[in-house]
Amino acid sequence: MSLLVLNNVEVVYDSVFLAVKGVSLEVPKAGLVALLGANGAGKSTVLKSISGLLAAERGLVTRGQVTFDGEDMRVLDPPARVRRGLVHVLEGRHVFGHLTPEENLIAATSMHPDRAKVKRMVEEMFTHFPRLAERAKAQAGYLSGGEQQMLAIARALMTEPKLILLDEPSLGLAPFLVDEIFDIVRRINAVSGVAILLVEQNAVAALDLVETAYLIDQGRIVMSGTAAALAANPDIQDAYLGGAQKVDYHAVKHYRRRKRWLA
Amino acid sequence: MEFALILELSVNGIFIGLMYALVAAGLVLIYKTSGIANLAQGALAMMGAYVVWAISAQLGAPMWLAIPLGLIVMFGAGLLTERLALRRMIGQPVIMVIMLTIGIEIMLRGVLPGIFGAAVKKLDVGIPNDPLFIGDILINRATMIGGLISLALVALSIAFFNSRLGLMMRAVSDDQMASWSVGIRVDRAVAIAWGLSATMATTAGILWGSTQGVDWSLSLLLIKALAIAILGGLDSIPGVLLAGVLIGLAESLATGLLDPLVGGGTRDVVASVIILLTLLLRPHGLFGREHIERV
Ligand SMILES: Nc1ncnc2c1ncn2[C@@H]1O[C@H](COP(=O)(O)OP(=O)(O)OP(=O)(O)O)[C@@H](O)[C@H]1O
Ligand SMILES: [Mg+2]
Repeated sequence: MSLLVLNNVEVVYDSVFLAVKGVSLEVPKAGLVALLGANGAGKSTVLKSISGLLAAERGLVTRGQVTFDGEDMRVLDPPARVRRGLVHVLEGRHVFGHLTPEENLIAATSMHPDRAKVKRMVEEMFTHFPRLAERAKAQAGYLSGGEQQMLAIARALMTEPKLILLDEPSLGLAPFLVDEIFDIVRRINAVSGVAILLVEQNAVAALDLVETAYLIDQGRIVMSGTAAALAANPDIQDAYLGGAQKVDYHAVKHYRRRKRWLA
Repeated sequence: MEFALILELSVNGIFIGLMYALVAAGLVLIYKTSGIANLAQGALAMMGAYVVWAISAQLGAPMWLAIPLGLIVMFGAGLLTERLALRRMIGQPVIMVIMLTIGIEIMLRGVLPGIFGAAVKKLDVGIPNDPLFIGDILINRATMIGGLISLALVALSIAFFNSRLGLMMRAVSDDQMASWSVGIRVDRAVAIAWGLSATMATTAGILWGSTQGVDWSLSLLLIKALAIAILGGLDSIPGVLLAGVLIGLAESLATGLLDPLVGGGTRDVVASVIILLTLLLRPHGLFGREHIERV
């Protein structure tokens, strides 16, 4: 059985707004799966329904099942889910800006009573992420975007997850940094066998990385299959891989944000 | 003689300032974890003093037992305040939450003297009241002991914030959502902050109550604590320590040197002037952290 199974999940915000309308998806053990879609399609909402963080935003799973490692997740609060091996790297990184990278890592170890082990893990992270080691004593809020993303991923690894929910790690990063981050993701998945559910707007890069992918639109899964099959699909070619007219989704996102703000 | 007077005022002022700083450190503790200014902090100090008085005078417990019992009761009271009142306000605008703490302040200030009687209660914790002479200068022994105890507790809370639990509390103050996402039990961290803050307030209440008696006016410590927390930077415990000393000094010197000229009343003006000046000139206080803005 798959590590993570979502069955017909429905999410409502503020008791009125139906953001996710019956999503089903699976992530196998040690799998690498992408969830693709345009702005506002419901990608982050799906991840929050899995990690439980919806509760902080007045969101609620009103229907369907979230099963992780054979266990029903809906009854557990987010810290309990983290202890089962399910960790969420939020969109926009959310590092602890006033703490140092080292303190950021330690803050994520409330589930490990063994101090010696925590110390060992921190050193291990710094060898995996030498750029963080260089800045170990700086305030994390002043790290570059790429460094903050690495820190957010390293911090999630400190919880010893079986599955990482990774929300738009490429957001706002220069192309060479996107490659670097995706290499890290690939390495974590291949070397440590940690499963990854990757949310991306950068469909080209994501389909290059993952084994299988789902496409979500207006709260519904509209397509799924192997990465190769999706990449070859003419509709996807058109809408997401920029066949003829290339769409810059980061620009679109900014525009949407502004629109929301003005409205 | 003039120099000896200034020295005497300064030394006593510093001790008083340290005792104020203890109340302010409780404010900072809550602000650092949950981002709200708890305006019921003075009332918690008053309540703590009443509770210890009641345990010793009403129930007849000896002081060495009444004080730890009072601290435990007030730790519980802090937890309960958070659980019953503050937690319901999650997601509400900050101003509503602050209003709620004002409500708690007013309620305690009315209810406690109502229950125990409005007359000033004598709280004798065994600190001798006779002054201490060092050379020419006269030191108030009660404020000296109170100041040193406060200093020790504030230093302890600095050490606490550098421990692993304290580190997690600082993480919560930075980003509650991110803290939750990496397994920190945010509600528990906030509750512990309230419990600890209430015990710090209680210690301050006992120290002040033993010098001036226990009545509603102990809740006025809030004004001094606010002045100190604002001057020190609402989220910095070392800042609170320095600001406490500065305000204690300023008050003591103002009272000793200006009162004879203007006919009294400067003590209470000092704190309010400092609140105003800090907010106008340096809103983050001396040590407050700045908002990190990255684009
Ligand atoms: N906290 C919230 N309260 C109410 N509605 C929300 C909330 N968060 C998201 N929504 C709405 O739910 C829908 C899905 O949002 P979601 O953030 O999941 O999209 P997304 O696919 O992650 O988009 P993006 O690529 O912009 O991050 C959108 O219409 C959005 O406006
Ligand atoms: Mg999103």
